[in-house]
Amino acid sequence: MRFILLYLDPGSGSYLIQVIIAAVLGVGFFFRNFWYRIKSFFTRRDPEKEKENDAAE
Amino acid sequence: MQPLPASFRDNDGFVFSKEGKIFRYVHPRYEAHYQHLQRSGLLQELWDNHLLIPHTEQEAISEFGFREGRIWQPEKIPFISYPYEWSFGMWKDAALLTLNIAQRALKKGMVLKDASPFNVQFRNGQAVFIDTLSFENYAEGNPWIAYRQFCECFLAPLLLMRYGHPDAGRIFTIYPNGIPLGILKNILPPRARWNLNNYLHIYLQASLSSSSIKTAGKQARLSRGKLVVLLDGLVGYVKGMSVKQEKTTWDDYYRSTILGETYLQAKTQLVRSFTEGLSFDSVIDLGANNGHFSLLFPGKRVVALDADPNCIEALYQQIKQSKSDILPLVIDLAAPSPAIGWNNRERDSISDRLRADLVMALALIHHLAIGLNLPLSMIAEWLLPMGPYLLIEFVPKEDEKVQGLLRNREDIFDGYDLADFRKVFAERYSLLREEPIGNTGRILFLFKRN
Repeated sequence: MRFILLYLDPGSGSYLIQVIIAAVLGVGFFFRNFWYRIKSFFTRRDPEKEKENDAAE
Repeated sequence: MQPLPASFRDNDGFVFSKEGKIFRYVHPRYEAHYQHLQRSGLLQELWDNHLLIPHTEQEAISEFGFREGRIWQPEKIPFISYPYEWSFGMWKDAALLTLNIAQRALKKGMVLKDASPFNVQFRNGQAVFIDTLSFENYAEGNPWIAYRQFCECFLAPLLLMRYGHPDAGRIFTIYPNGIPLGILKNILPPRARWNLNNYLHIYLQASLSSSSIKTAGKQARLSRGKLVVLLDGLVGYVKGMSVKQEKTTWDDYYRSTILGETYLQAKTQLVRSFTEGLSFDSVIDLGANNGHFSLLFPGKRVVALDADPNCIEALYQQIKQSKSDILPLVIDLAAPSPAIGWNNRERDSISDRLRADLVMALALIHHLAIGLNLPLSMIAEWLLPMGPYLLIEFVPKEDEKVQGLLRNREDIFDGYDLADFRKVFAERYSLLREEPIGNTGRILFLFKRN
């Protein structure tokens, strides 16, 4: 069994990392959206527009 | 048909040449993917946006000795360059092109199965993807198969240039299949770890893959939405990278030299008048510096070489805007790109690729003869196969720049003078024009190969 494992594609680690990164970045995106909502609540601006403006910067 | 030496990795087809033309054979097993590439509109979209090299389909496959499959004739790239010859901005644009294509593909239900910088070439100052067999049908839940390759082949060199030196991309020459992350994390300065993207894509991945045995057998699933987040994240990460301008020797060559403006004007005028009546399509500019002379030939294909990554980067940014047909490359003539890859035949050396109608060696010869101790005959032999016309500037020993080179060393260069220069070149070329450049003592020669 051990020997078979030695021949495993090291890509298996890179699959797992993608799941982790997507999760971490996903949280970032979530909070960013959250922030836009708070910001728009006080500035009374459309949150979608706010997002576009930010992206264009 | 024999595949070309660089075309053995992909099972779905290969590139071959026939009567000097380049073709790509596509095996029937790729058909389902190609059907989707066409029907989804992705192929046309990539062509319309000049992101992918266009091809025409050859109907008569039996003439090529095939009974099944397809044969494409891709548009020819005039000069093949390799990633370790690119400046930072070229690397960055190649990485962004690869991600851009992966994003567009995913929207149309396909994935990019390769993320190799060798699949990117430059023409008219624009990066273009050349491997039409890299597209595969996407299966929901699969992670990006080329992610690791993208990290090792794009992120790694970019980070070495970003944190190390703009010239560090040349390290890719010894790791053309990707710089292993375990090596990369030890080369990068410790502060690089304190960036979230660096940490995730490089450090964490390196430690995870070294312990991959623990995770073996578990196939990770990644939803489409998460894959989009991953690709978007990579785009932002790469876009945010920049190099600090390391001060290099050649930065202000023309501005700071006392040779200055009049010399440059006189030389420009001579180069124009010498080449006016010549018939040529392609130019090699050896030691191009900021590309002042490369830019004198609109409508011609120019390859501009210099060892200074800052000069090449500045030239690249300039022609990227103007879309001129100039290919700027970082080449150190003292250590030119070797032939590498399997059996040393996968990627040609730069010496084998340097072919053009007109070869320019302006203010170069003293660097080779004095700086590198090369005898004039060896320089002439090196220039000879490059092209039929040679525009070369002779810089006499009394010249301020040559004296600078000799300042801290013994003058062992008895064979370096005008008489010798004439003799060596007259043995191989016929002289067409000769003119002194202002009152600098330098002389411009135009030769034609015998």
